[in-house]
Amino acid sequence: MSGLQKSPWVIHYDASSCNGCDIEVLASLTPGFDVERFGIINTGNPKHADIFLVTGSVNAQNRIVVRNIYDQMPEPKVVVALGCCATSGGIFRECYNVSGGVDSVIPVDVYVPGCAIRPEAIIDGVVRALGILEARRAAIAASTVAAGVMTIQRATAADLPELLALQKVAYQSEAEIYDDTSLPALHQTLAEMTADFNRMIFLKGVVNGKIVASVRGYDDGKGSANILRLSVLPYFRGRKLGRRLMAAIEAEFPQAKRFELFTGHRSAINIHIYTQLGYTNFKTEPFNDHIEWVYMEKKQS
Amino acid sequence: MSPWWRLLIYLVAAPLVGGLLAGIDRRISAHMQARQGPPLLQPFYDVIKLWSKERLVVRRTQNYFILFFFLLTVFTGALFFCGSDLLLVFFALTLSGIFFVLGAYKASSPYSFVGASRELVQMMAYEPVVLLTAVGLYMVTHTFQVDAIVSSAHTPILLLPGLFVALMYAMEMKFRKSPFDLSMSHHAHQELVRGITTEFSGPTLAIIEVAHWYENVMLLGWLFPFFSTHWVFGLAATALMFFLLLVVDNVCARVRWDFALRSTWQMTLVLGCGNILVLWLVEVLGIVKL
Repeated sequence: MSGLQKSPWVIHYDASSCNGCDIEVLASLTPGFDVERFGIINTGNPKHADIFLVTGSVNAQNRIVVRNIYDQMPEPKVVVALGCCATSGGIFRECYNVSGGVDSVIPVDVYVPGCAIRPEAIIDGVVRALGILEARRAAIAASTVAAGVMTIQRATAADLPELLALQKVAYQSEAEIYDDTSLPALHQTLAEMTADFNRMIFLKGVVNGKIVASVRGYDDGKGSANILRLSVLPYFRGRKLGRRLMAAIEAEFPQAKRFELFTGHRSAINIHIYTQLGYTNFKTEPFNDHIEWVYMEKKQS
Repeated sequence: MSPWWRLLIYLVAAPLVGGLLAGIDRRISAHMQARQGPPLLQPFYDVIKLWSKERLVVRRTQNYFILFFFLLTVFTGALFFCGSDLLLVFFALTLSGIFFVLGAYKASSPYSFVGASRELVQMMAYEPVVLLTAVGLYMVTHTFQVDAIVSSAHTPILLLPGLFVALMYAMEMKFRKSPFDLSMSHHAHQELVRGITTEFSGPTLAIIEVAHWYENVMLLGWLFPFFSTHWVFGLAATALMFFLLLVVDNVCARVRWDFALRSTWQMTLVLGCGNILVLWLVEVLGIVKL
């Protein structure tokens, strides 16, 4: 039992709707329909919400807003498109600035048509979303359990966008340590990553079809292998996934006489893990005025 | 009952009573608005739900502050229900509030900042009168020990009516009710986003909610000594006061922070200090023997 089904908190966003559907959304909160009977609260804060209600067709101005709200919602979450415009673009579909329904920006779970949508249909849509929400929670719980059975594979070029997203999420904690968002890992572009991909071996850790960790490495041609960008999704940390990936990437270079990697001087957890894996510090180099790269190496016997 | 038993009962029962009070609060409020309202156990469903959600953070340290906020809130109530010193309880209460504010500041988001600064303004507003309560109760019962205050022969409300009114005025703030739900509100979630709790999600938000339940039980406990002639009378009067807070919550719109601060201090000065002054005078003149 998760209580999710009994306490769905919604956030409502008007993506260029004519206000017809929005008024109906608010009407469902009034004494006549009183959705609080089902524990539904209109939060107005994506970080507290479980269900994202979007009305109106998405236009060029607010695509980024819709995306942002969706990204800020904690898992598990579902999206309900309310009204004809949100489900398909409606009569604004052909407009030059309209990108179509909500599903042109974020994945939509429940489509509720209507112009304007009726409060009964809104409540029905939210109740339908509850089932999906519960299934999603169970899936997440299962993948946390399944972290132990993470499979490690070579990544393919098709994985690169997902790997880039993973890297940017994973390096947030590093940026936080140094209070500096100029870390190169946070600014890599897909083109640069593709260039990396062409000369390096990329490994991905997969749990239930989702990439949760990755690392890459290359042989420098002088007998030593460089390992870099070890990333694990924050939700999956502390389960020794990083160590397993390190072992796997080292095994990719059986010829290498030594392995080399670097991290920041205040990244205590990283340094601790690498030290435990047999790496020792051999030089430091300043990156900017408050970050120093600590280079570590491990000699292969 | 020994203080240790009371501590144990408090630790176990306070979240249950607090959650139930929150449920009653929501149902009564809904009925006042001609709605049916959520099930009585809705606050518990909410907390269970929040516990299974992802914990999103801006900075991970923000959650440690909330953990300390929770621990200190529980500690405050524990001190109170063990019958400790009222002043000590007051200072522990302040400290727990400060940790909440620090957590919100740590999250560095504009909404969180607004909520945190409003919370600080609220603390400035309600703390004088809460401290004055301890002074008033001391004048009547000659002790700061909660145990001794509750078991004294006096009914403090008869001698401290002004102070009590001022305290109730400030309590709207502590219970996060209109007209003073400036930093974080249970209703009208849209206007402040969610004030001080904006950046907390999942289990951390659940901890804040449970801490709030503990706090509410402690605050109702703070009202109890005023009616402590008989425990049935005391409980009934405290329940009535809780209902009164709900009524005020539902009939008032939110006011601006400067009005909230000014009016609370005016109430404290005129009714609170006035009450204590009069009490001192009548005692000096020998009209009342304390």
